[in-house]
Amino acid sequence: MDYKGKKILVIIPAYNEAENIVQVVEQMRSVAPWCDYLVVNDGSTDKTPAICEGQGFRYLDLSINMGIGGAVQAGYIYAYKNDYDIAVQMDGDGQHDAAYLENLLEPILADEADVVIGSRFLEKEGFQTSASRRAGINILSALIRITTGKRIRDVTSGFRAVNRMFIEIYSKDYPMDYPEPEAIVAAIMHLGRVREVPVQMRAREGGVSSITFKKSIYYMIKVTLAILICRLSYGVRRGKRQ
Amino acid sequence: MIPSHLRITLIIVVISYFIVILYFLKQKALNLKYTLLWLVAGAVMGILVVVPELLTRTIRLFGIQDNMNGLFLFCIGFIVLILLSLTSIASRQNRKLRTLIQELAILDKRVRDLEKDGREHDG
Repeated sequence: MDYKGKKILVIIPAYNEAENIVQVVEQMRSVAPWCDYLVVNDGSTDKTPAICEGQGFRYLDLSINMGIGGAVQAGYIYAYKNDYDIAVQMDGDGQHDAAYLENLLEPILADEADVVIGSRFLEKEGFQTSASRRAGINILSALIRITTGKRIRDVTSGFRAVNRMFIEIYSKDYPMDYPEPEAIVAAIMHLGRVREVPVQMRAREGGVSSITFKKSIYYMIKVTLAILICRLSYGVRRGKRQ
Repeated sequence: MIPSHLRITLIIVVISYFIVILYFLKQKALNLKYTLLWLVAGAVMGILVVVPELLTRTIRLFGIQDNMNGLFLFCIGFIVLILLSLTSIASRQNRKLRTLIQELAILDKRVRDLEKDGREHDG
């Protein structure tokens, strides 16, 4: 299916999202019927794959849980192999509103950006997450600004769109574990034009967030190191624009 | 100098070490590629025990006075190297495994799509 002459794939990673996945896909299909979508079941242990099969969804079935990075990358590989022009990542837990897809796509269609991030913090509307998480996000945002010179506010947002150039880059190399901030640094180091657009997000509809309080400390340490290492490794051989 | 009694013990240890590794290699329980570091470590230890002059001179270079301390330091150094190489092997295999799972999932989708097409043609 085409949207303004471009083939678009919405990648929906889903790990144990049996409660949300139907609603997410149906909403996406009713709001943006001009997009293809692809649910990536990340080795769920609940009924997620059975639901995808039963509902006749388009889905990839990862036989082993790999974490969000591996699932999203599988979507990018699929997009690359099937010649999609634009890929969008949208969480399978219902936090992201498909109504904003067009806003996300607009800078790419106008060729003003290569990577577009849906940001909660540009207009500060909708679900703003807890104060402690915002503090963590601000620290990572500052770190990315210091290391790359680029100001991105919502660095952990998993609601993003990328063009063909980054479908290829991400299909070959996408960060693991908690990939969102690191993927931004990789994009900037590949001389990608990264742009934020305002979106509103919802609180989760069901299921549990993947990041519990105990994990948040590990998260901050791991992501900080990942950003620094990513910045350093590209510092020597900054990528070329393709 | 290392007392000759101790040298004999150490030589026996190094020889047994090689016998164990060679046995595992023969049984194909170890991949030669991943065993090279172990063999190099054994060879270096063997040389240092047989030619203690070499050991004394080398460790003096690093400012170590006692021969046994020097030997221990060599051991620890090799163990750290081997552990690092194991971590690197695990990371590489992790990456390969990830690619494999992703390709399998994409192939799985193709098979499902083809089966569906086939059923539509039959029906």
